[in-house]
Amino acid sequence: MNNLSAKKLNSVYQFILILKKHSGLSIGIFILFAFAFISLSPLFITYIEPNKMDLLARLSPPSNEHILGTDHLGRDVLSRFVAAIPVSLGAALFAMMVILAIALPWGLVAGIIGGRVDAIMMRMADIIMAFPTLIFALAIIGFMGASLEASIIGVAAAWWPSNARMIRALVLAAKEREFVRAARLAGASHLRIIFRHIMPQILPPLTVIISLETASVLLALSSLSFLGIGAQPPTPEWGAMLNEARPFFTQALHMLLVPGLAVTLAVLGLNLVGEGLRHILDQREPYKW
Amino acid sequence: MIKYLLIRMASALPTLLGMTIVAFAIVSLAPGDPIEQELRAMGIVPTVEDLNALRAKYGLDKPFIYRYLDWMSRAVQFDFGTSIATGRTVINEISLHFPATFTLAISALFGTILISLTLGIAAVASNQNTASFLRALTVVLVSIPSFWLALILIYIFVFYFGWARLVGDGSLRDLVLPVITLSLGSGAALGRVVYERIRAEMCEDYVRLAIAKGVSPAKILLRHITPRIIGPLATAWTNALGGLLGGAVIVESIFGWPGLGQLILQAISQRDFPIIQAYLVFMGLGFFITSLIADIIVIITDPQLRRKNSHE
Repeated sequence: MNNLSAKKLNSVYQFILILKKHSGLSIGIFILFAFAFISLSPLFITYIEPNKMDLLARLSPPSNEHILGTDHLGRDVLSRFVAAIPVSLGAALFAMMVILAIALPWGLVAGIIGGRVDAIMMRMADIIMAFPTLIFALAIIGFMGASLEASIIGVAAAWWPSNARMIRALVLAAKEREFVRAARLAGASHLRIIFRHIMPQILPPLTVIISLETASVLLALSSLSFLGIGAQPPTPEWGAMLNEARPFFTQALHMLLVPGLAVTLAVLGLNLVGEGLRHILDQREPYKW
Repeated sequence: MIKYLLIRMASALPTLLGMTIVAFAIVSLAPGDPIEQELRAMGIVPTVEDLNALRAKYGLDKPFIYRYLDWMSRAVQFDFGTSIATGRTVINEISLHFPATFTLAISALFGTILISLTLGIAAVASNQNTASFLRALTVVLVSIPSFWLALILIYIFVFYFGWARLVGDGSLRDLVLPVITLSLGSGAALGRVVYERIRAEMCEDYVRLAIAKGVSPAKILLRHITPRIIGPLATAWTNALGGLLGGAVIVESIFGWPGLGQLILQAISQRDFPIIQAYLVFMGLGFFITSLIADIIVIITDPQLRRKNSHE
């Protein structure tokens, strides 16, 4: 028992060592935790209702009453920013889950079975990848009608093929390892090989992919909301808030800064975590002059 | 080499065919009847006979395969029908807006290449501190959403300094801010690719040998490393064009640049399916052709393939 807790302490200590060495990764983790914490803060603090309009206090700069000021309808920017976290980040995470739900089985099956199945599955992915991603998403939204749901589906439909390709590449590298071949020769089933031997190998690089791809999905979804074809007003969403700020941002700079910084920081956090993890996984050093 | 080129082009054909099927299917399987919606929008409550007559006129009453073949046979002649919203021909609308988007995307592609080479080579050549600063700068630049960057650039350069105009006449001067907006992010992202490619090559034995022989760094970079990375980089740059074409929609909307982005946003809100369809086909085709060109460049520049070819 004592031994176990000592081991646990040791791994915690190692984790801290890693964070100390990789400052980007720790900044990224800090940013993401900060967002998670702020999005939970309405449980402890009462904010002004995010859709409550106060037309007498339109476009007012930051003050004691409205810490981050108000927007063109006199709504509190701070509470809209907080209320937008679960919408913006939640939509991105949900879209990423949809993408993985398609791409993971797709890449695994294509990579493991190989041959003609692989060729056909990858050709299908290539066909969708032949379209510029955001434009493919735009077309799907055009076909479904503008809404947050449509933009999630559009982004997922456009983003899964590249993820499936990356996962397939990981699987191909993983399945050539000696112990995987040995397991196959020993008569292990496809499922056993996938879950016992392939998944543990591809999980670390997959974490990097998930982190970086969630960042790009978040950018895409907020861009679509900004264009007015994603989340619809009055839903608090960072892209949509910026879209609403467009006619007024010369008079009320805070309307431009708050949602823009929110998107940038969230994307930055995800990118830093992805980059940091990749840096830890990739240790090759170049020859120096 | 000709053989490789022909194989590459032949293998592109099924993808091309698949793209047209996807582009057609997305729009023609759409829920909601565009004719009924258009009539509703005009304030007309249509009778069933009217609807059927109009559907027959636009060919919307036939089965999917038939409509696809029919659409394809007209599409290869650049006939994409008429816009349901404006009544003009789709090809008319597209060709009206296409030059602006093309100019913007190609300029942004050159901007991207320039920025990525500058950042990448600077990161390789610099010492540890500068390199980590450049890495941090790259991550930040990649994380800034282009729509926010555009608004900030407008705030600084249009409203604060007054150096640029917001509503331009499509001259080169008005292209500067949109191109910067578009190419900063992708240039930074690809600068990382340039850096990593060079760094990966620097881990190879042939670089070690060159260093041991006393070849200068600039010469190693130009003569030894460049031929090996130019192919993959060409692929990466042309792939970036896809992102630039998508990003162009956002940038055009903000800067009022009269390109296809404006057209498609309008078409989405009006559910103008022929326009959406043609837009998807044209953008897909443009992206597809540039990828093909990049692959051809890769084949041509690949030293191993070239050597094999000269021995044949």
